Amino acid sequence: MSAYVQFADTAKSFGPIEVVRKTSLGLDRNSLVVFLGPSGCGKTTLMRMVGGLDQPSTGSILLGGEKVVRPDRRRGMVFQSYSSFPWLTVERNIAFGMRYRNDITAAEKAERTRHYLELFGLADFAGPFPNRISAGRPPPVALARPLAAGSDVLLMDEPFGALDALTRERLQVELRQIQIREEKTIIFVTHDVEEAVFLADRIVLFSRRPATVVADIDVAAELGPQRPLEIRETQKFFELRNRVLHLIRHETGAVV
Amino acid sequence: MVELAVGVIAAALVVAAWEGAARSGMIAPQFLPSPSRVLTALWTMLTQQNLIWHVAVSTARVWVAFLLAAALAIPIGIVMSSYRIVGAALEPMIDFIRYLPVPALVPLSIIWFGVGEETKVFLLWLGTFFQLVLLVADDMRRVPQEFVEVARTVGANSRQVMTDVALRSMGPTLIDNLRITLGWCWTSLIIAEIVAADSGIGYVIWTARRFVKTPEVMAGVVVIGLIGLVTDQLLRLLHRRLFRYL
Repeated sequence: MSAYVQFADTAKSFGPIEVVRKTSLGLDRNSLVVFLGPSGCGKTTLMRMVGGLDQPSTGSILLGGEKVVRPDRRRGMVFQSYSSFPWLTVERNIAFGMRYRNDITAAEKAERTRHYLELFGLADFAGPFPNRISAGRPPPVALARPLAAGSDVLLMDEPFGALDALTRERLQVELRQIQIREEKTIIFVTHDVEEAVFLADRIVLFSRRPATVVADIDVAAELGPQRPLEIRETQKFFELRNRVLHLIRHETGAVV
Repeated sequence: MVELAVGVIAAALVVAAWEGAARSGMIAPQFLPSPSRVLTALWTMLTQQNLIWHVAVSTARVWVAFLLAAALAIPIGIVMSSYRIVGAALEPMIDFIRYLPVPALVPLSIIWFGVGEETKVFLLWLGTFFQLVLLVADDMRRVPQEFVEVARTVGANSRQVMTDVALRSMGPTLIDNLRITLGWCWTSLIIAEIVAADSGIGYVIWTARRFVKTPEVMAGVVVIGLIGLVTDQLLRLLHRRLFRYL
């Protein structure tokens, strides 16, 4: 099986600053790949290029063999800041993902919106504006929008970074389940090792800026596809986490 | 509600102190007429001197100038923020003109437009447009980049990003800035209406001044203040209606 998302000699500089050094990397369809690396190493830039929000300086990015030139709804972004539109209700925020689709009817749009409201336990929160509901809710709103839009690649930039530990855990479990059930390809950027090992089918570890791949870890081979919370307490999980930590300390050049 | 009560009581105290000072006889009435005399003058102006018509004329001038200013400032301000080169080209010029006092441009506007309505509207426009355009540019600059990018990744084109996201996002600050600059527009009114005018509140005030009819001068000023107060409250109400999510 050839890769679904393909970085082909992709490199990126902003002016004199080299952010990503020539990288080639293929990501499988329907898998969750974590980009792990020190803060500010260029992993967000790599992800933005997949989204079409930044263009590579040299090389290219292919999606299903087709070159990425601009953003479109096949690749949905979930930003660190969650980005719910404050002027739209939760329901309309989710429906916004389908606003520009003419290929489905209004009834289908309403149906899909309802589906994702329920999936994320937001059914009782459909009416209020996002700033009126409790702190644990905004990320699902931002997560449900690209799903409703019909994106099959989700690009997530530390989406759970600012949450309390329990909410974060709950959302990690939900995300993993949705990824498997709805067959999404997810690139998940984080610098949290626990989170990376718990969520990932595969971890790509990047060096300090300019980003280069320093390790590529097949997590699914060791932990399997299903990730119940208890897996965090297993010996295998510990060992893997420690190995990744070790790699970060010694291979990325990060100051820990 | 408490705030409203405090505001009313404070204003009533000031008026009472004014009445007291005027009645004590320490200040000549042609300098400080009592509020009751101002009120009497206001009544006379309303019933015998067509004050309503003058108010209508002034209001129309202010709104024509203000709407012209807004109609130009909003698109130009947005373009200034969207294209760095346009901003770089326009901002120094706008800053230069913005600091010119409106009265300084009265002679020039008479040369350009004569002494008709055009000059009055132009002077009012001048006091508003250059302030507003920079405020709009700033509002646009503060639209979060993530909002724009979210819209683009769900398939919005540039026009849709503008109407569905940028304008919606900047809406609350934009309406606030319109409210504030409308106030500034009124402050230029006297300047605009002393130039060969035969109508408007500015004209009324200026004529009364010539005959040292201080109560009428004050009544004119009070009318402007009242119009400002009412307009401001109406726009605040509109703001609350439009932006319930805030």
